[in-house]
Amino acid sequence: MVCPISGSFASIMAALPSTLVSPTRDFVENSKVLVVGAGGIGCELLKNLVLTNFKYIEVIDLDTIDVSNLNRQFLFQKQHVGKSKAQVAKESALRFNPDCNIIAYHDSITNPDYGVNFFKKFTLVLNALDNRAARNHVNRMCLAADVPLVESGTAGYLGQVTVIKKGLTECYECEPKPPQKTYPGCTIRNTPSEPIHCIVWAKYLFNQLFGEEDADQDVSPDTEDPELAGEAGERAVQQEAGENAIGGGIQRTSTRAWAVSTGYDAAKLFHKLFHDDVKYLLSMEKLWQKRRPPTPLDWNNLPEENGTAETDSNTRIQDQQLWSIRRCAAVFRDSIEQLKEQLAARGDGAELVWDKDDEASMDFVTCAANIRAHIFGIPTKTRFDIKSMAGNIIPAIATTNAVIAGLIVMEALKILSGNINKCKTVFLNRQPNPRKKLLVPCKLVPPNPKCYVCSAKPEVSVQLNINTVTVKTLEDKIIKGQFGMVAPDVEIDDGKGTILISSEEGETEANNSKHLSEFGIRSGSRLRADDFLQNYELVINVIHVDQLEEDKEFEVVGQMPEPGPQPDTPQPSTSTNGPTEPQPGTSKDVEEEDLMIIEDEEEDKAPSSKATTGVKRKTSDSSDQPVTKKVRTAAAEVAEEDDIIPL
Amino acid sequence: MADGGENGAISEAEAALYDRQIRLWGLDAQRRLRASSVLIAGLKGLGAEVAKNIVLSGVKAVTLLDHQQVTEEDFSSQFLVSRADLGKNRAEASQERTQNLNPNVKVTADTEDVKDKPNEFFTKFNVVCLTCCSQQTLRRVGHVCHDNGVKFYAGNVHGYCGYMFADLGEHDYVEEKPKIVKADKEKGEEDKEGPAGKKAKVDTTETVMVKKTASYCRWQESQTVDWTSDASSKAMKRTPQMYFIMKVLLRFREDHGRDPAVSSREEDKVALLRLRDDVLTEMKLKTDLVGDEFASQCFAALSPVCAVVGGVLAQEIVKAVSGKDAPLNNFFFFNGTDDSGMVDCIGKS
Repeated sequence: MVCPISGSFASIMAALPSTLVSPTRDFVENSKVLVVGAGGIGCELLKNLVLTNFKYIEVIDLDTIDVSNLNRQFLFQKQHVGKSKAQVAKESALRFNPDCNIIAYHDSITNPDYGVNFFKKFTLVLNALDNRAARNHVNRMCLAADVPLVESGTAGYLGQVTVIKKGLTECYECEPKPPQKTYPGCTIRNTPSEPIHCIVWAKYLFNQLFGEEDADQDVSPDTEDPELAGEAGERAVQQEAGENAIGGGIQRTSTRAWAVSTGYDAAKLFHKLFHDDVKYLLSMEKLWQKRRPPTPLDWNNLPEENGTAETDSNTRIQDQQLWSIRRCAAVFRDSIEQLKEQLAARGDGAELVWDKDDEASMDFVTCAANIRAHIFGIPTKTRFDIKSMAGNIIPAIATTNAVIAGLIVMEALKILSGNINKCKTVFLNRQPNPRKKLLVPCKLVPPNPKCYVCSAKPEVSVQLNINTVTVKTLEDKIIKGQFGMVAPDVEIDDGKGTILISSEEGETEANNSKHLSEFGIRSGSRLRADDFLQNYELVINVIHVDQLEEDKEFEVVGQMPEPGPQPDTPQPSTSTNGPTEPQPGTSKDVEEEDLMIIEDEEEDKAPSSKATTGVKRKTSDSSDQPVTKKVRTAAAEVAEEDDIIPL
Repeated sequence: MADGGENGAISEAEAALYDRQIRLWGLDAQRRLRASSVLIAGLKGLGAEVAKNIVLSGVKAVTLLDHQQVTEEDFSSQFLVSRADLGKNRAEASQERTQNLNPNVKVTADTEDVKDKPNEFFTKFNVVCLTCCSQQTLRRVGHVCHDNGVKFYAGNVHGYCGYMFADLGEHDYVEEKPKIVKADKEKGEEDKEGPAGKKAKVDTTETVMVKKTASYCRWQESQTVDWTSDASSKAMKRTPQMYFIMKVLLRFREDHGRDPAVSSREEDKVALLRLRDDVLTEMKLKTDLVGDEFASQCFAALSPVCAVVGGVLAQEIVKAVSGKDAPLNNFFFFNGTDDSGMVDCIGKS
């Protein structure tokens, strides 16, 4: 045993008493595992692995330690803030078992250094990730390297673990994931009705003023609102043209340029955003026939109501106090001043990236969202609540992560001892289901033969407008965003092999701004997208449409037919409970949208959703009725630990 | 029972540290956590997991109680002691690492034997969590806690399986429910009618608190169920097998003064199977109710099993002291060989 740190302990180790007996014990000690992520789940997982006597562990995480991690990522302490998670986690875990070999990488798993050969080194890969993009990537790498993967996720009290093995089970991408929540542009720009609409607007505004300008993130009134049906907007434009109104979809002065020209004058910005633009919206009378019309605000005459009472402020933390509009305006002024300085400090042409943990950025979004909410008669929110929504913070606790990391190792033990067919997808619920299960094990599902990732010849069809979609959009939003490639090469299957996108820098950048039609792409054209790193090739059939609903740029169609009823299909081994507890013959596993599972069994008569908080009963009690497999919204989507799901 | 008391507000530093959990259970729950004292007796793998989770959550004080010494067996599940602590008292050896998890929590080690502690000792705590204890101690402390309004927990991990028990007496708690917003009505008052026929909907950002009460039976009642009665024998079919395995393991502890040991694996297996027959027969149950497998799977403690049971147990303690969310009533059983994690209410008539 080579172990630089353990030294004299190595001899003790060999004889340590253990629950595990041979051969499982030997399989564990001889295995090589990769832990992807050293955050909430990763810390717990590393502890379990070293204590269970896994000897060869590699761990990778690109993140550094933050104060808000310390309530659960127990391998880290205050003095470690700012350091590499992977490195500190390794050092802490080695203290639990000095007889382990751990290699730590402070790096992104999508870095090309970690290719298929890197993955092939491992007996097992264990995911402890918090975002879908990295999960997609590791899924592909494990498929390419044919290494079993244990996938996991947590969100608050809920969690999930599953096992992915090429050819045997569903891969991470076999079931389409629900798209991330987006809001129609006209709701954000013209007719917000919920706090989140104002928060999205405020984040857009941040980018317009200080960040990367994005045409999709316009904050000015939208005259092309379908509700206006033409004439109303035209009239409004005529009325308000001139002045310093820069919105309206007609005048194309950039918000940024205008803000810079005023020297980021808070009063002027306020007047334009919260007075002039609002008056402009009011002129679109059609919008307000069935809505409460917005009330423009006057910088010099702000209301004082709505704040947290002074007496309450002692018992609340700062962030949970509700700001009055007057206070919002003051914060608006101060945060703009600070952001202006941050921008100036970065030199010409610099841009700020919105970060929930940057005080001024968070202040700005809080006050801008609340001022807008006030104008539209929408309840204002505390900075604490707005941070959750704007930063997409998924609450996270030590206990859920501990349970899930424990289950990951239980699945790993089964895989290592050759019993992968006994592995389950296990859900941690908030309350036991009607069959008393707090942890709900479900059979693994076989691969989807139409999966656009793990099937033999992956192929999809995408609807888009070939005359408006650019090569850049194809690459960023479709090939990378939708289909999860990291460094794609794309060619047109036109007999000439025209290269549209190259993964080599500098080769195809000239194509970026061109539309697909300029390359002869028509409805029915086939594109071959290939990611060398992921060892993954996908054929994309282009279907031209003039327009998609809700301003979508593209839509994946006919990607996967609804899989047929699964539960009656015999699994490689159905007697997963061992001889002592025979599985009831009619037992079925059905997944619910919200991570909730019910197993259908004839014993369970009445739906008892009241007794089991949050658990809905989906299937009929009749065991004859085919059980339709629901779209999987497993931990994968719902359950991500920290700060993901960009708005 | 120690009076929690609301000594001071949550500081900004605490708010930053506990941010991700305050976002889950709220500031009031965090404030109650911060005022509570927890006793953890038995610092093997499960005790270590519970201690870690509870200290991280930010309670006021945790007392680690264990009269035994660190053994080699601890190194496969007890991460609060180091290799150098072999032979030292387990509570003392665990103190430093436990304290390092969260400097805001007062962590004390107590090296006395839980069975020698007088009844008054337990009433100083808001929560008492016993692991590695005998039936006798569980019964006595269970009664003391029940009679004095102390939240009582018991748990053990044996190899691939483990369980926890809760007796919260009469427990008041609140549940957060999403607020149902009737868009039409609410908006209608202000602006005639909402846009395009909106239905009643759930506003995920607004919630209401609903007050509830749960009542629990004593540990002793959970151990003395008459399985021959009509109702019980019917319920038995759906009672997790782990309950009966627990009874067998507690009897083993009673008879041998220790748990099944890796060093005497083969003899202990035989003893376990014999005890299974005895225990089930005494309960007037068939001995084939529990298969033989358990006897080879209940040695030492598997770290991931401690993590699962300790995670569930600690979350229950958090629920109990914060008075937030419906607590489990009253057993949780985990069997790592088939990933089953069952909740069952046993002993309450």
